Amino acid sequence: MGFVLSRRRVLLGSAAGLLGVGALAACSDDPPAGTPSASPGSPAPTPTTSARVPYVGDQRGVALCAATSALAASLYSGAVLAAGDGRLGQVPGVVTTFLSGAGAQHTEHAAAWNALLTAAGAPAVTGTPLTVESDRRAALGRAAAPTDLLALAVDVEAMTGGTVAARAAEFTDPGAAALAATLAPVSAMHGATAAFLLGRPTGATPSAAGAPLGLDALTS
Amino acid sequence: MNPRGIGAQTAGDDVAALRTATALVVLAQSTYRTLQTNTAGGGATAVPLVRDLLAAAVVELGDARSALTAATTGAGGRAQTAPDPAYGPVVDAALPTVRTPADVVGLVLTLEDVLAQTLVTDAAGLSTPALRALALRVGSESAARKATLLMVNSLLSAGRADLVVAPPDLASLPGGIGTVGFPDTRFPTAKAAPPEEGN
Repeated sequence: MGFVLSRRRVLLGSAAGLLGVGALAACSDDPPAGTPSASPGSPAPTPTTSARVPYVGDQRGVALCAATSALAASLYSGAVLAAGDGRLGQVPGVVTTFLSGAGAQHTEHAAAWNALLTAAGAPAVTGTPLTVESDRRAALGRAAAPTDLLALAVDVEAMTGGTVAARAAEFTDPGAAALAATLAPVSAMHGATAAFLLGRPTGATPSAAGAPLGLDALTS
Repeated sequence: MNPRGIGAQTAGDDVAALRTATALVVLAQSTYRTLQTNTAGGGATAVPLVRDLLAAAVVELGDARSALTAATTGAGGRAQTAPDPAYGPVVDAALPTVRTPADVVGLVLTLEDVLAQTLVTDAAGLSTPALRALALRVGSESAARKATLLMVNSLLSAGRADLVVAPPDLASLPGGIGTVGFPDTRFPTAKAAPPEEGN
């Protein structure tokens, strides 16, 4: 029984203690928005011009996860905009609903990672300071059909989930480990949804753009 | 950032957790296999896409079982070959009642949820990076299957088996299908099996 309590403490108690109320509120269990309603103007790239932040230890991995989640959210917001501007033809509602819902969860994930940083006295990650940012935005710009947006999502989720999973194994901080353990599977569920909509219900293989990011991908 | 290690789990705790996770995998794989022989899962009234999901899950769970078994013996434990004792009777009671593809999906959805929640819990508590990585990889695979099953379950429950096809008719799919596969912003853990359950 002691161990059971210990397992629950790791996932609930210590997460609350380390992340604080703000982090938990920023990452609720509420279902994602079913319709595109979030800030249509938000996907504009936010160039990072600040000096490199001296994150130490686990903080660097947490910052990487924050930036990766933020990039995923930003790409999905951009995809929703692209779906609405007519250049992709008629984009089915199920596709835009997916993009909006998954993007909303990634926004919450980024907020939760940042709350972990600020609770530890480190600055939150602003923007999407990653070496792959321009490549990923260019891939979104090349989308020519609704299915291209779904293929992009398969890559985004593989990148995000893989990045978080890789850090999860290495974190020594209980709060960071618990957060990573509960967020990586959500990316897997996003990826499964995109694959299903693409007609690959048993799983779609991501491209090279779906590779997990290492710590050296963080530019802030 | 808290400088402490991530948990007080010992090698003995690891073995118990790994054996319990394996017991759930054994049960899930066995259930999928049994459902493949059911008329509604693999027979005349089966939905072809669901039949494909069952076959793929059997393979994935076989790989998961091998990996978890290797980890168990590597941690000094005995391989777990028995199905989970808590959910085994539940499955035994449910199998004779499976009549439709929706019944098939509903049963494995329950098992995948418990399996994924257990492994997500393990992924934060096991004592080594390699074991945590394994648990999260297998748990994420289970979560992905859960997402797909949630979508299929939603369509079947709405009487739209005609939309459970690959590739889907995107224009005909209800918009809500786009998010029904990921209901939680953080993957839940309340249903995680206690580590001693299948040890």
